[in-house]
Amino acid sequence: MRISTKSKWQIALLLLPGLLIFGTFTLYPIIKLFYMSFFEWDFKNALGQSFIGMGNYREVAGDVYFRTAFVNTILYTLITVPGQMVIGFLIALLISQVTKFKVGYRVLYYLPVVTSWVIASLVFKYVFNTEGLLNYFLVNIAHVAGKNVRWLDTRWGGLAVAMLLGIWKGIGWNMVVFLAALQTVSQDLYEAAEVDGAGPVRKLFAVTLPGIRGTILFALVMLTIGGFNVFTSVKMITGGEPAHRTDVVLTWMYYKAFSAGKFGYSAALSFLITLALAVLAVIQFRLMQKKDR
Amino acid sequence: MKAHKKILAILLTTVICLAAMMGCGKSPVQSETDSQSQETARKASSEPAETESKAKEPLEVTINFWHHYSAQSAENETLTKVLIPKFEEENPGIRVNAVSHEWADLHEKLLISAQSGTLPDVARLDSAWVPELWEMGILTSLDEEMSDFDEVSGALLESAMSTARIDGHFYGLALNTNTKILFYNVKALAEAGIDVPETMDEFVTAVKALAGTNGNGQQVWGYNEPALSGWNLCPFIWSMGGSLTDEAQTKGSGFINSPQTVEAIEMFADLYADGAITGWNSGDIPMTDGFGTGRYMMLLEGPWKVAEMKGAYPDFEYATAGMPAGKGGSVSVLGGEDIAMFNSADKDASWKFMKFMTGGYAQEEMAKCGQIPVNKEALESDTAKEADFAPFLEAIAAAKSRPTVSCWSEMDNELSVAVTAVVSGEKTAAQAMDELAEKFDALLAK
Repeated sequence: MRISTKSKWQIALLLLPGLLIFGTFTLYPIIKLFYMSFFEWDFKNALGQSFIGMGNYREVAGDVYFRTAFVNTILYTLITVPGQMVIGFLIALLISQVTKFKVGYRVLYYLPVVTSWVIASLVFKYVFNTEGLLNYFLVNIAHVAGKNVRWLDTRWGGLAVAMLLGIWKGIGWNMVVFLAALQTVSQDLYEAAEVDGAGPVRKLFAVTLPGIRGTILFALVMLTIGGFNVFTSVKMITGGEPAHRTDVVLTWMYYKAFSAGKFGYSAALSFLITLALAVLAVIQFRLMQKKDR
Repeated sequence: MKAHKKILAILLTTVICLAAMMGCGKSPVQSETDSQSQETARKASSEPAETESKAKEPLEVTINFWHHYSAQSAENETLTKVLIPKFEEENPGIRVNAVSHEWADLHEKLLISAQSGTLPDVARLDSAWVPELWEMGILTSLDEEMSDFDEVSGALLESAMSTARIDGHFYGLALNTNTKILFYNVKALAEAGIDVPETMDEFVTAVKALAGTNGNGQQVWGYNEPALSGWNLCPFIWSMGGSLTDEAQTKGSGFINSPQTVEAIEMFADLYADGAITGWNSGDIPMTDGFGTGRYMMLLEGPWKVAEMKGAYPDFEYATAGMPAGKGGSVSVLGGEDIAMFNSADKDASWKFMKFMTGGYAQEEMAKCGQIPVNKEALESDTAKEADFAPFLEAIAAAKSRPTVSCWSEMDNELSVAVTAVVSGEKTAAQAMDELAEKFDALLAK
């Protein structure tokens, strides 16, 4: 189709506001950040930054705190992503079977998703505090524990609470996504499977899961990115304490930029994370495609 | 069925809207952790407020003043309703546009504004920030540029002015000062038959004796320290005869790992292992609540705690005493704020405003809201002598400031990481402090 010069101008004009906003607030900051990552950009050099090449990247790679934060983030992703997907999928399966109060169930399971991260984190913090609700229940009501357990004060304890919050809050989103996907699986396939003598479990693995593979991949990629982006819950619940042991990459990046003033370091870190995420996404796509054949 | 769906839809929308709006509020925990670890604790305020900046005459100069007096505080009220009108009346042609920030926000905002060249003229700075900002080269060297500097600084407390002194020059004026002294639960000490600890040994004995369980079967602790940073540890290190660096602030070896410093850290770790002290863990009860409800028997805190206790636990009976003395004497840590101008400022007008804020009148007005003056004249006034902060005045004279080096925030971080490893039993104090000394040396050599 040929487009006249006049309408080309019109198209350009119509796109301009959007492009301008995208350019100013998305593209420019990304480019500037990339530029910053090669400079020693901190208190000492606020007004005259010196070019240090890959120096920031080397510093990030050799940083023990970053390594801890990176391992924490990987673990967070490895646990919360399958956790919320499996539970979300199972709930979607259940809800797709019920006939009464379907909307009610959906709303109930979706509520955590619309709850503010900050508020949910605070509630979790109060529950898991050393003097919190859970300990009160364990010690004073159930008499299971002799004294208060320090849930939040160790690396694994603090992370586990953040993971629990991540799963609890993610279930609803997965449920909605999978519920929509389940409706796209053709009933004919189920009937055909039944004729072939497939039981419910066989039907789940032979019909349902292959039928929604696209959605599973979509959820996997989105949630992996989400897992790497975990910030609010960790910042609110432990703040990286004790001694940066519960930091995830973003809380560590935030600390380095805004508490220590190392903007160059944080810029480099953010690009390394982006790179890691891109590699991960490609691997995930490849794996899912292989199964396709 | 339709109606059901509609109701649910409305319900869902309401929940979403509520969640979205609540998300905008400031979190109480954030402000609590800030106030726990930072000297400039004020009760959380939400929105930055500002005074009017309408220009009347075209020839007027407007100077922007950024500060972290909380928007709803008495200090902010005094600033905007008493001090600025008075200053503008005395100095026709100069208007002051004061903008309130939260403590942590102001720090971030200054860093970002420095990058983008949009700094205010004058700012009230936590004295711990001065070296960082100096390193950025954005602060004005007052003694070099202001002819009447000696006269102005001579009217202010020397210990407080030392926080603005770097490399022999002054990059700000002291604005207000503070330090920490011992707060104790009067009833608990009396019941346990313990005198107020005056020495470090007595303090350790008292902390152990006060810890245990209360009548309700709850665990109580003899002492609470809300974090393990320099602000928290320095009083103990110094009072026990230790130090962080040499006098010239060029190295840590032989100082942060000296036997005295190690002993101070060991004392902390032993008390923690005994279950006698607590506080730096995410799961702990907040400081004020723990003290007010009788779970923490003693604290080391600044003058703001007086106001906080008055607000939250008005009937709670407590008293204050000096920092327990050890081999190094009774040495607490100096906090406080400086007022400084940036190189981009309108220097004449800014200097006038800084002189006004550190002058007798403004300092006495601020003393009425609990700000400890640094102006010697204001310190002699009846307002200061009768104020809640009177018990702190003696401690201030002996207090020391933390190292005034630009890498202090990194040193501070390494210090708390090292001490965390000690209290959690992963390393011995000697081992951790030796490693820390190497890190201090490397940071200070940069």
